[in-house]
Amino acid sequence: MESVSPLYSLSTEVRYSPPWQDLSIIGIAGSSGSGKSSVAMEIVKSLNLPWVVILVMDSFYKTLTAEQHQKAHANEYDFDCPESIDFDILVDTLRDLKKGKRANIPVYSFAEHQRQPNTTTLYSPRVIILEGILALHDPRIVEMLDVKIFVEADMDVCLGRRILRDVRERGRDIEGIIKQWFEFVKPSYTRYVEPQRPISDIIIPRGIENTTAIDMVVKHIQRKLQEKSDNHTEELRKLGLVAAEVELPLNVHVLPSTPQFVGMNTILQNPETEQEDFIFYFDRLVSILIEKALDMTLYVSANVETPQGNTYLGLHPKGTVSAVAILRGGSCMETALKRSIPDCLTGRVLIQTNESNEEPELHYLKLPSQIEEHATVLLIDSQMSSGGAALMAVRVLIDYGVEQQRIVFVTCAAGERGLKRLTAVYPRINVIVGRIEEEGEPRWIEKRYFGC
Amino acid sequence: MASKPESGPSPAQGVGPLYRPDGEKPTATVSKEVSYDNVHVLPQTPQLIALLTMIRDKRTSRADFIFYSNRIIRLLVEEGLNHLPVVEQSITTPVGRSYLGVKFEGKICGVSIMRAGEAMEQGLRDCCRSVRIGKILIQRDEESCMPKLFYDKLPSDIADRWVLLLDPMFATGGSATLAVETLIERGVPEHRILFLNLIASPSGVAEFAERFPKLRVVTSFIDQGLDEKKYIIPGLGDFGDRYYSM
Repeated sequence: MESVSPLYSLSTEVRYSPPWQDLSIIGIAGSSGSGKSSVAMEIVKSLNLPWVVILVMDSFYKTLTAEQHQKAHANEYDFDCPESIDFDILVDTLRDLKKGKRANIPVYSFAEHQRQPNTTTLYSPRVIILEGILALHDPRIVEMLDVKIFVEADMDVCLGRRILRDVRERGRDIEGIIKQWFEFVKPSYTRYVEPQRPISDIIIPRGIENTTAIDMVVKHIQRKLQEKSDNHTEELRKLGLVAAEVELPLNVHVLPSTPQFVGMNTILQNPETEQEDFIFYFDRLVSILIEKALDMTLYVSANVETPQGNTYLGLHPKGTVSAVAILRGGSCMETALKRSIPDCLTGRVLIQTNESNEEPELHYLKLPSQIEEHATVLLIDSQMSSGGAALMAVRVLIDYGVEQQRIVFVTCAAGERGLKRLTAVYPRINVIVGRIEEEGEPRWIEKRYFGC
Repeated sequence: MASKPESGPSPAQGVGPLYRPDGEKPTATVSKEVSYDNVHVLPQTPQLIALLTMIRDKRTSRADFIFYSNRIIRLLVEEGLNHLPVVEQSITTPVGRSYLGVKFEGKICGVSIMRAGEAMEQGLRDCCRSVRIGKILIQRDEESCMPKLFYDKLPSDIADRWVLLLDPMFATGGSATLAVETLIERGVPEHRILFLNLIASPSGVAEFAERFPKLRVVTSFIDQGLDEKKYIIPGLGDFGDRYYSM
């Protein structure tokens, strides 16, 4: 980690853990064709939450050598033994996710028996369902699992399902399937799969048909998720208490209350202001904030020549300035942003505050590529109260490799406690604030701007 | 009361946010300082210097010149408007809280000194949507070489308004002085005139500030001085040409 300048550091280290740092992993093992993936999908469907994802162990097959590749085509390669799976990478991936980091999931091509150069990014799930015949095999993984499930089905049923699937979905011939079954799949079941049964927490016989068992698992996950969000909310509250003690640091820039600025704020806060005027004055006010924010980016000295041939020692901005809007509030500020940077690369992150417990939740994320190389990332949101969404958004940027000191959070109005909380956790970010508002101010600017 | 700025090199210093250590601030030439109460120079922030660098650079294309000068003009207008009077206004916000704010007082209008001053109208309109804009055409008289008023078209009630007088380049100040005299003749009190300007010469702005002590000048940069042809140095060339026709 970077050393922190004493000017704005706190004596106690304050940390923020997003809810996805405390990831739950559920392992589902069982014979091929036993219905593991149907069970996993049924669980996801019942939960109906964006942060529950299925991780299929097939993605972690090792790349085959040319010789093994030929064997595989002749149905003579053993895909059912632990050696065929790259457990080391799987363990690393799960550990990263458990820490709240971003993980790149390999993409495996069954046609080429090779890991593809591209990967899928997995970020911020709160629950992962790890599904694979050997999900409970490696002790390093078993140790990380919150729930261990073993799905069982009659072996005849399993074979029947496997034939249907491989013929329909993978274009294989029946002879090959049956050869593979007796040579590898069945022996492997006895040797590796079945021994996972006694260490599992829940055994689900008859797979997908067993609604009682699936319902039980779903209820368990729901309880876990509730605990996690309670902890997150409680943690945010505690951070607020810690932060309340300190002064606003120097890297929080509150715009001076000039007559025009206060005048515009008066018009904006007056409910009698027409929609059209509201938009005009809002855009004008945000333009000032954006110009101010651009003071925080990187500049280098540059000599330029004027048309008369004089030289002037000025400055040139260095590197890319991009923006990330916290939706929906941040998108109000894009008109003004584009007045100063018409072609600004803009990412979006949808963070919604859950109305029942006031917990911020990450629903959607789309960032510009190579954001970690940008000189400055303006994180924009029209309003900030407790700072929960901002904390989460900054954390997301950091997880995507953006250094703290390159982040400039820009907001029209913010509560003091929220600002302190944000800068206590991330002391090196810059913050541009239009106006300090009273604590606990509900979000209303975006409603006014969009008219709904 | 005031000291005239010295001719000579402009100050160069590290520019950047206050809390940043000097070593982390890049060096650039900043505006000269003047100590007239009625001259306001915009804060010399890195972003302002970078915008000025763009419009000074002869390699900057016309489209970019227009874009970057508009951004500086908006900053000038925003600062200029701060000198207009306001009255307290208490309101109840959409979430039912009371807020003690202010309300803008007094009518305004813009007056541009043709042709370069007209280039500042867009920036003015970006901040004041339906503002009235008068125009003054001043040209150098070929016989006397003195600036001469050729044309003006001003709002009929201009005497009741605050006037934002627009001219981007201020060298000797001949045209601006004549424009102010014209406005005063039309009944605009001197103290209700705000002169908005991009780049000024130190001698010109000093004379102007002394001649019209109640008028306020808002400028983004006081340059090094004037050359023998009375052009601002380092300046940026002919503003009107670069904005309209080059």
